[in-house]
Amino acid sequence: MHLTGHIFRFSAILLLVLNGKAASQDLKNAPSEMMPSTISFNRDIRPILSDKCFHCHGPDEASRATELRLDTQEGAFANLGDYFAVVALKPDQSELIARIQSDDEYELMPPPETGKPLTANEVQLLTRWVSEGAVWDAHWAYKSPKRGKLPEVRDSSWGNNWIDQMVLARLEKGGMDFPGSNPIHPSPPADRTTLIRRIYFDLIGLPPTPAQVKKFVADPSENAFETVVDELLASPHFGERMAIYWLDLVRFADTVGYHGDQDHNIAPYRDWVINAFNQNMPFDEFTRQQLAGDLLPEPTVQQKIASGYNRLLQTSHEGGLQPKEYTAIYQADRVRNVSMVWMGATVGCAQCHDHKYDPFTAKDFYSMAAFFADVDDEKHFRVGTNRLPTSRPPEILIFKDRKSKQSYERTKLELQAINRKWKQAKAKREAGASQNQNDTSLSCSPEESLEALDKEKKLLESKLRALEKQGSWTMVTQALQQPRVTRLLPRGNWLDETGPVVQPNVPEFLGPLELGRRANRLDLANWLVDGDSDSGKLTARVLANRLWYLLMGVGISQSLDDFGGQGKPPVYPELLDRLALQLIDTDWNLKALLKTIATSKTYRQSSESSDWLRLNDPYNQWFARQSKYRLPAEIIRDNALAISGLLESSSIGGQSVKPYQPAGYYQHLNFPKRAYQHDRDLKQWRRGVYVHWQRQFLHPTLKALDAPSREECTCERPRSNTPLAALALLNDPSFVEAAKHFATRVLDESDDDFKTRLTWAFELSVSRSPTPSEVDVIESLYRQALSEFQSDQNAVNQISKIGDRAVDDPFDAELAAWTSVCRVLLNLDETITRN
Amino acid sequence: MNRVDSTQVNSVDRRTFLSRSGVGLGALALQSLLNQETSAASSDGINLDLPHHTPKIKRVIFLCMAGGPSHLETFDYKPELDRMNGNPMPESFTQGQPIAQLQGQQLRVQGHLAKFNRYGQQGQTISDYLPWHAKMADDICIIKSMVTEQINHDPAHTFMNTGTQISGRPSMGSWVNYGLGSETDELPGFVVMSSVGGRNPQPIASRQWSSGFLPSQFQGVEFNGRGNPVHFVKNPGGISSKHQKKLIDTICQLNQIRNRVSPDPEIETRIAAYEMAFRMQTAVPQLIDFADEPQHILDMYGAVPGDGSFATNCLLARRLAERGVRFIHLYHRGWDHHGDLDKYMKVCCRLTDQPTWALLTDLKQRGMLDETLIIWGGEFGRTPMFQGKGGVGRDHHIKGFSMWMAGGGIRPGISHGGTDELGYHSVDNIVHVRDLHATMLHLLGIDHHRFTYKFQGLDVKLTGVEPAHVVRDILV
Repeated sequence: MHLTGHIFRFSAILLLVLNGKAASQDLKNAPSEMMPSTISFNRDIRPILSDKCFHCHGPDEASRATELRLDTQEGAFANLGDYFAVVALKPDQSELIARIQSDDEYELMPPPETGKPLTANEVQLLTRWVSEGAVWDAHWAYKSPKRGKLPEVRDSSWGNNWIDQMVLARLEKGGMDFPGSNPIHPSPPADRTTLIRRIYFDLIGLPPTPAQVKKFVADPSENAFETVVDELLASPHFGERMAIYWLDLVRFADTVGYHGDQDHNIAPYRDWVINAFNQNMPFDEFTRQQLAGDLLPEPTVQQKIASGYNRLLQTSHEGGLQPKEYTAIYQADRVRNVSMVWMGATVGCAQCHDHKYDPFTAKDFYSMAAFFADVDDEKHFRVGTNRLPTSRPPEILIFKDRKSKQSYERTKLELQAINRKWKQAKAKREAGASQNQNDTSLSCSPEESLEALDKEKKLLESKLRALEKQGSWTMVTQALQQPRVTRLLPRGNWLDETGPVVQPNVPEFLGPLELGRRANRLDLANWLVDGDSDSGKLTARVLANRLWYLLMGVGISQSLDDFGGQGKPPVYPELLDRLALQLIDTDWNLKALLKTIATSKTYRQSSESSDWLRLNDPYNQWFARQSKYRLPAEIIRDNALAISGLLESSSIGGQSVKPYQPAGYYQHLNFPKRAYQHDRDLKQWRRGVYVHWQRQFLHPTLKALDAPSREECTCERPRSNTPLAALALLNDPSFVEAAKHFATRVLDESDDDFKTRLTWAFELSVSRSPTPSEVDVIESLYRQALSEFQSDQNAVNQISKIGDRAVDDPFDAELAAWTSVCRVLLNLDETITRN
Repeated sequence: MNRVDSTQVNSVDRRTFLSRSGVGLGALALQSLLNQETSAASSDGINLDLPHHTPKIKRVIFLCMAGGPSHLETFDYKPELDRMNGNPMPESFTQGQPIAQLQGQQLRVQGHLAKFNRYGQQGQTISDYLPWHAKMADDICIIKSMVTEQINHDPAHTFMNTGTQISGRPSMGSWVNYGLGSETDELPGFVVMSSVGGRNPQPIASRQWSSGFLPSQFQGVEFNGRGNPVHFVKNPGGISSKHQKKLIDTICQLNQIRNRVSPDPEIETRIAAYEMAFRMQTAVPQLIDFADEPQHILDMYGAVPGDGSFATNCLLARRLAERGVRFIHLYHRGWDHHGDLDKYMKVCCRLTDQPTWALLTDLKQRGMLDETLIIWGGEFGRTPMFQGKGGVGRDHHIKGFSMWMAGGGIRPGISHGGTDELGYHSVDNIVHVRDLHATMLHLLGIDHHRFTYKFQGLDVKLTGVEPAHVVRDILV
């Protein structure tokens, strides 16, 4: 049946295309279809050994099949009694080569039952590697970044800075290191309109206004773009945009995550993150305050707020939970997060056994867990409540200004004093009552004063509550005097107490720390960002890769979340190293690095892809073009609100906000039952970064647009393209309301005729004028809508009622028809794409 | 089903197809694709030579009795339990075992709160709480030796659905859709419904139907029994279906124009996504409109359109199955009987027993049971020990409990495995949650060993890294 064929074809295409990630999986193997002219151990050989051999011949002693291990140089070249696995230059004496080429299924490596056979190409690569000398190299991510000599380029006219020089040198050699490759030409610069839209979305997550576009396009000065970059880096919205990414990494959310998923107090931490980015806080300081703000000498309130990082994980007070089990769950969660965020490492894999691919041992895992053994957060097992917000001590109350803080403190003292008096008076009265039961004359005065005190007490209590509401509670870290004992848990089993006690330490092969005392979180933080030693430089490389990703859409190593053996080696290792070293040399200046990248010619290339590039470099590993991708969920919201004029962006920070949400969406939450009330004031139109993050039921529009639940660290969101996302953008009242207000702007702020108005609306949403065919298509919709609405007042009335913000003009058929036009504009691929 | 076969590739412009697939196939792969020597399914880079073997079933309907129904009041009859009623629980059973709410309390044996009888040709034991289950004794295969690893609700559901208690992993419905694709282009391939009714229910998180690290089109989509069935599936107020169609057409036309100026496979996908969104807007109201269901069918289930009950959801499940939805996950909450077990068993069974029978019987009479796998069970079972949170109850229990399976490829009318004399530990033919997953995948034509997705450097499987086995004894 024709229809069926269509369906299959259609779903197949969807499956293939909807998400690059699915398709990217096996790409790793694609370049190996061809033979490089020289073998690079890290690029060509280690990934094969890691994926196909390390499982049984790798770091995990328990699952090592024989004495042979291939993850270390000593192991690979060791004398194994009567044979060697690898003999440099001598493939015929190397058992490894014999076994991978064997015809005997019992001899063949990897064993067929592993389901991981080597491809012919991989066999050839390994054989060539041995015959060409079996050069070994340390894993790229554990080597100290080096600043090599800048490469020579033929075309010295292209390029603004060293980034360009390094990219171009590679492109001139033909991208990958294949013999006889033709040079690849970088893409031409993006047109100015595209460029200014790109940098606005990248740095502040908001679109430029038509005036801003016009000014930049008309600015002939040489540093016009640099000026824009500087302006945006100085904008308070920069911190909001960066926070979106950081909050994904550290799994920031408004709710506890497990079981009842109650709200918890943490919003001030988000403000701290936004401010830190805006102030360009050096990343080492940024790290210290989060991991160990409470351990800094005489910590400030802000540093305490930052230490809320240690409290961001999912927690539970479900009845019947076993505290010991959750202590184990929490420590594992913290190790997974800290290692992923700062080290790009999957140390979490070593919870039950030594890591299968990387040199992290189970002991390393528990030694890292021990850093967090002083986090005093176990009271909630007992005092966690099913109220909103729940109780997650320790928490502190933060005030915006000193005055409200002082009056709160004062009132609190007053109340304490009254409470004391009240207690005394009550005791007196009770004593009096029992002693002088028959003497009514004496009981009069204490009773009177008790009554007065009672009144005063109630007054002060309500005053204190009112004052408290001006502040915000937030979870912080407080160190226990006596940290919990941390044991290595055999197979991760918390019931098993036979494992040895471990002390806080960093992974042994990267350290260890030898301080002569118990190391603490501050030591961990200092180690992670110690720019004078390798540990800090490795962190800088993880960070540089992610900052590059934020501006180029793809990391230099595409594995933002795995710098281990199973991750993808960087395509431009020297470039990544140099970016990392710039961070170190500038004392972790994030804005400076972003500016270096943004002002490169590489950044400013067009994102239009030639067929050749799309075929040969589908994931843009060579950066011979910019990337083009759908905006992140929050920014799609911000963009629509900004275009419509509804965006409330005058202030930065604050409590989470609640946009419109389908009724009953929280029906499955319990303890307590949840009634969602969207914000009815200006908070309704605040930016997406402030949206209430309910871990178990994230707002359906954010979710449809790939925002993560923030249960775990997210380094890279998928970029899907689904019918559910289409439904959200079409029908979510937030977007329909935005279209309505966009429509009123069109009618109020633009001239009379359709085309002029449409042009104005187009400028606002995609920063360009419509083409004649675009005008035709939209006009057809507009005419039909207008005639439909002119004869259907009821429909017009219904549209007029969508959203809480009143429309100033009388809502008529024309406005309704323009609302439809504006809905179209807000849904265009171009509107929601960063180009 | 293959994702794409070469004849279908034929009908797409090849260049487009290739650029759409967005995969760097390399020159050789490109050549072979054009020569149709390689099926797209194996070279598309997604995975997988699926199915690995001939599937027995097309779809799964998972009836999750959330909260943890007592195996000792449903299928697992233990005379010794009644004999020991009220006695201290022998320590040999409980020592070193994880305990939930009964931590630190004196443990006493609690005898059955129900009577059991034998039903069907093999004499399956089924309690009096489940008279409708008794009628299908010859259709279901009761597994009495289940074990799981998580003793609290939230992590236990996560474990049952994803094979691990760590958040962020794909749910089994997402895995199945990822592996086999969908058979419908107007509904999502993985639909979740949670019914109303019962006692104060445990919360259930949308994590349970998350696609985790799999692409988000494989996430479960929740259909609501009441109100708007799918979020944002209804047009905004004042917008007619005709108008919405014109509006979506306009968006697609403009995107088409854009695609000519700035070609991008994502634009083509977006056009397809908007077209499917519109089809969903039409298909979903038809799905929930029971006008074409005769009264005797509604009565059979006890379904009342729009009431959000388990009965109505069971009928919806059949309708979703008919429309090609691959994985249908129904939750009925309220089985967490720490106290007043008798009272609440009656409530839960009244709401679920008959509709479950109706679903199975209806599928059977339509010839669909053979191509469907029905799985019934909770995230864990309940203790043989007494708990008394207001009336007699039982605590969470993970070392032995019962589930059942029925449908294509499953031996009907048998019991498999068993617990010890007090119903504490599974002892015969133990079936771990991983084995359940392996068996389900096997019936779908998938070898769980070979069904992987690369995430953070690992080839992650639904069945994880510990051993998992297809339960061959229960297969036809």
